[in-house]
Amino acid sequence: MDKEWMHHSRHSEAYLNGVDISNMVYRLQVQGHNGKMQMPPPRSSLNDTNERRKAEMTTCHLQKLKNLKMEQSRPDCCGGAAAVLNLQPNSSISVAYHPLFGPHDDLILLELDEKLLPDVLHHRVSFRGQPDEDAVLCTRSKTYAVKFVGTSNSVFLIPPSDPSGLHENEQDGDKVKRDNKAASSVIKVAPGSMELVEVAPRLDKLKMLLSENPYKFDEVFEMDELNEMVDCNMSLYRWDDLIDKVQASDDELRAALKSLSAVEIDGYWRLVDEDYMDGLLKMLLHNSVLNEWSLDALHEDEVVGVLQSDGFPCKIASHCLQVYGSEAEGSLGGRVWRLDERRVCIHFARGILQGGKMKMESFMGEWARKAPEGMQVNFDMLEGEVLTEKLGIQTWVYSFSVSSLPSSPAERFSLLFQERPKWEWKDLQPYIRDLRVPGLTSDGLLLKYTRRTQPTLDADPVFSAR
Amino acid sequence: MQIRVKCCCGEGKCPEWAIVELQGVVEAQPDFQDRLQNLQIGLLCRPSSQENYTFTVGYHELTGSKVPLKKPLLVLKKIKHSNADEDSTTVNLSGVEMEVIGIIRHRILFKTRPKALISSKLLLVLLSF
Repeated sequence: MDKEWMHHSRHSEAYLNGVDISNMVYRLQVQGHNGKMQMPPPRSSLNDTNERRKAEMTTCHLQKLKNLKMEQSRPDCCGGAAAVLNLQPNSSISVAYHPLFGPHDDLILLELDEKLLPDVLHHRVSFRGQPDEDAVLCTRSKTYAVKFVGTSNSVFLIPPSDPSGLHENEQDGDKVKRDNKAASSVIKVAPGSMELVEVAPRLDKLKMLLSENPYKFDEVFEMDELNEMVDCNMSLYRWDDLIDKVQASDDELRAALKSLSAVEIDGYWRLVDEDYMDGLLKMLLHNSVLNEWSLDALHEDEVVGVLQSDGFPCKIASHCLQVYGSEAEGSLGGRVWRLDERRVCIHFARGILQGGKMKMESFMGEWARKAPEGMQVNFDMLEGEVLTEKLGIQTWVYSFSVSSLPSSPAERFSLLFQERPKWEWKDLQPYIRDLRVPGLTSDGLLLKYTRRTQPTLDADPVFSAR
Repeated sequence: MQIRVKCCCGEGKCPEWAIVELQGVVEAQPDFQDRLQNLQIGLLCRPSSQENYTFTVGYHELTGSKVPLKKPLLVLKKIKHSNADEDSTTVNLSGVEMEVIGIIRHRILFKTRPKALISSKLLLVLLSF
């Protein structure tokens, strides 16, 4: 039967490496086909229950990228990809399996935007993530989720031919008649490709890692403690450790460290314990009164020198200036800092509310007393730091800081609505303005995670959980 | 862990790979299933100066065309550094790198149903079974 088929097919005279082409059976996978098309008699298990190019998204774990060895390919068939891509009109080329054809799980297709190509060519991208996390691809400044998109089509991958491999197979001893036409070889049938979707960096983990072991007052005096901690495998992270553990691009990680007010001490990125920071700031303010420094023009060398003599390490002292101040311009000789009124006042407000909620009047009174001289406290400074609630005729203030909330929108909104079932826009806005979701505007975010109600046209809209 | 993506091709010089894509699967007859290497799959023809192609697999002919990819595909190869050369401490801990070994910008896509290359005489033979 097979013989007959062979003789009646138009190309049965074509041979390649002694293999008769009719050994290939093409099966089109079309639903509801019902055997009406002239298909060969069933030979092996047919897999006809197919859907047309249904791409399924599965998440790709780095650990799943198996590594199979592939020797540097030396195709001994001439042609290669170029022969296929530059096939001249009125000509043909034989497509065959490569001598090294196989699953080649170490070959991966990655779809990426043309604009990212230069980053790849200049070695500026990397995959990041722990084995149990979904892999991301990071450029210098952005983070992309990596999705595997499968296909049920047969995707034949044809590598370029190795020019040195041309005409090499004469000695292969295949005495069988060889096709003298050019041939291109398929190295692998690709099951799909990876696609990239821009995502927000996954930074909550960074906060968690750094909070494990903040820099504390007693560390200053125990010089050996650092070595001890390193020995004991305590949570200390260098930049490279963070890159290994946190799924964010370099730029995003750097920005996150800054917004967390982290500081690099002896090569390790640390958060400074809040009480320690509090003591340091108070000492700085105390010294500025003693030495009659202007809070608008603090000379770093001088300030750090004095703080050092008070027992604070140089690095931490200048870190304090960075956290609570901004560099003043036009300074000659050494850096000059201006303390930021808002940041300093917020610091004291946090300290006051640490003990729990307070009546508005007593809070404002205490806050104004504690703030350094020359600084004016203003309740508007506390946007995104505190919430108020009315109990009877009293207004109470309590601490609710945006910096303590998760950065993923779903978790953020869930926590917000747990705190308060209904939010007015002016209250909600400070708690969501830092959310960045690529491809989603802030209105889109609200639409996705909240329900907006507006009792009357001129009333303020109210947001509740979806 | 971090897996760096390396590229040794230099700017704009990544070797171009090709894709021939068709719906369904191509199966070798059972005798050949274990040794596909060097086996011919089919014959790719470009009958005219247009970017139309036919692909003849066994006694089926497919008609398709060359289409540029909307976004290029990079061919990455995973390279695992053996732990044998541990003295070179510069290699990252995971010891794995991805190397760009090619880029794909076009595919020749066959998305139509195949035409059977069967003579009417054979069809008669077939039908008589």
